[in-house]
Amino acid sequence: MLPFDLADDEVFRKSTVGTGRWITIIAVLSASAVLSAIVCLQFGARFVGVHDMLRLLFLAPGESGDAAGDLDTVTTILLYVRLPRVVLGFLVGGCLATVGVAVQALLRNPLADPYVLGVSSGAALGVSVAVLFGVGSTILPVVVLPLCGFAGSLVALLVIYQIAASDGRLPIYSVLLAGVILNAVLSALIMFITSIMDPNRSFGMMIWLMGSLTAPAIPTLLVFSLYVLVCLGFLLKQARVLNIVAFGDEQARSLGIDTERTKRHIFLVSALMTGAVVSVSGMVGFIGMVVPHVVRLIVGADHRLVMPAAALVGGTFLMVADTFARTVLLPSELPVGIMTALVGGPFFVSLLIRRKDRML
Amino acid sequence: MRSNRTPSFRGYVLGCLSILIVVSVSDDGLSEAYGSSVVKRRQQGILTGMPFMANIMPRTFVDDAGRKLYIAKPPTRVVSLAPSITEMLFALGLDEQIVGVTELCNYPSAALSKPKIGYARPNIETLVALRPDMIVAPQEFLRADILAKLEELRIPVFLVEAKTIGDILMQIQSLGKIFNKVKMSDAITGTMRDRMARVTKRVATSKEKRVLYVLNSHPLITVGPGSYIHHMIGLAGGINVARSSESPYPSLSLETVLQEDPEVLIFPVGSVESIPKSEQDEWNRWKSLSAVRNRQLLEVSSDALNRPGPRVVEGLDLLARAIHPEAYLSDEAHPSP
Repeated sequence: MLPFDLADDEVFRKSTVGTGRWITIIAVLSASAVLSAIVCLQFGARFVGVHDMLRLLFLAPGESGDAAGDLDTVTTILLYVRLPRVVLGFLVGGCLATVGVAVQALLRNPLADPYVLGVSSGAALGVSVAVLFGVGSTILPVVVLPLCGFAGSLVALLVIYQIAASDGRLPIYSVLLAGVILNAVLSALIMFITSIMDPNRSFGMMIWLMGSLTAPAIPTLLVFSLYVLVCLGFLLKQARVLNIVAFGDEQARSLGIDTERTKRHIFLVSALMTGAVVSVSGMVGFIGMVVPHVVRLIVGADHRLVMPAAALVGGTFLMVADTFARTVLLPSELPVGIMTALVGGPFFVSLLIRRKDRML
Repeated sequence: MRSNRTPSFRGYVLGCLSILIVVSVSDDGLSEAYGSSVVKRRQQGILTGMPFMANIMPRTFVDDAGRKLYIAKPPTRVVSLAPSITEMLFALGLDEQIVGVTELCNYPSAALSKPKIGYARPNIETLVALRPDMIVAPQEFLRADILAKLEELRIPVFLVEAKTIGDILMQIQSLGKIFNKVKMSDAITGTMRDRMARVTKRVATSKEKRVLYVLNSHPLITVGPGSYIHHMIGLAGGINVARSSESPYPSLSLETVLQEDPEVLIFPVGSVESIPKSEQDEWNRWKSLSAVRNRQLLEVSSDALNRPGPRVVEGLDLLARAIHPEAYLSDEAHPSP
């Protein structure tokens, strides 16, 4: 029933989540995700109520009293523009939050996330190079752009390893320092690329870099979902290891866990996910860093609960933020990265103020 | 934002006095370093925001940013900071006076042999080394710090910004006055006006079509009110589907596009800026669009359209041909000049 046995760890007697509590929290979060999705689907260039949605689903075009063309347009908007975008928003948000949880646990540093480490910038650089040389627009962009993103994030990771690793181990401070430096260099390279593109293109590139979702084609969305869900599954399975690693390397070694190897695997999968996410949505900041905190403040520190909860909360949050981003300025759109920062920042601060006693 | 003070009589008298004072002040050593050219930027004072004074003082010009420039003699060394401006200056026959253009300036061919400066971020030292006695620059790209430095060096900078085709005609007229080429500028703008009138007359009888002009597909960026291309779409007998957006280059919602249902999609294609075929083909996904159903995904030369210079009327002609081919059917044998 559950992907792991909740009572199998000696170490975590104190923080063990009861199975009942796990199911309750995940069920509540899932339900709110579904409800939010239904609400998000209603808003857009034209408001479509739930009743109309159901009617559209069960009616072939031309069966209703509407003019067939008009119905056609609404169906297209709903099924091919809005729905894919809402789903994509959920997946991207979920990935960012989960990767954030994993990286923060690995480095035992609440400030860590793919953006801070420069992994996202690496992916963005990979994608912008592909765009600059027109690779993305000629050969299967669905496959090529995420691959370029992954290549970029992988190179970023390798560089961090080269800088920070000593005796095959990754000291936390060196990793963070390496990430900060790498970020600065990569940002400069991205800026260089945008400055040599033609002006119209670079404007689009800037908006994409701020983090913006577009409605993906259905095949694209399917490929992306499959890829991302496999990675998510892997990360969720690592929850128990993350619990042990979060306690410290010494502790983990005494329990006989090869932490370095596990760290490498988790980092690799995080890079894979980051590359894919950046290739479809640019650099949506804030979620990877803040959602894990918010979730830990609410449900405690056990990763077996934090990981899936963060995936659901991050997904729901980005889905809602993107709905604001695409409707606030109709007929224009805002980059969702702006919305996540504007909506999430104050929320996070208020949460901290109310929970000062349990801070981080 | 400039303050738009209403001119009072006292201000007017003071203004005239201050002009007299400034004009009578002699050059300092700096402009002597630039040879004998007597070019000065008037200190802005009481007169700021009183463009009407430009008509009273000859050789005082107001640019599109509302800045006033006092230019004693026609400049002999001018630098252009945009392809559209280069085309205007060449059209006015200023080949000899042009001492610098941007790396994107590829028309007319004489521009290729001129010294090159960066387009969006010109290097100020390269710029000063060309010893210009005037710089003509697009308003949107020139940074405030560069502008301040050039003012400090007493190099007049004439800023241009086109929101309509009318603005482009005005700019050509102003440049004609500055360089004493009024006959030339009158001839150019006259020809342009005639051609515009011919186009609008042609499409007058056609039913307007809904148009989407694609500058970038992911994310979708198009032209909106406040951009001269939006204005041109209207002149060419089109209705821009982004007409209700707030910015000149909006990032338009795809849902809005589907709802507005454009009958024509226009992709600018050319030497500098181009939407590749593969990106155009992606639009065929949206089968509910009239433009897709009727195969109206059209290419228009971006070299003519995306440059707010003298060739913009050719762009208008091409745009009208794309939107209303039926209006041009009668004279396929002898195309317009």
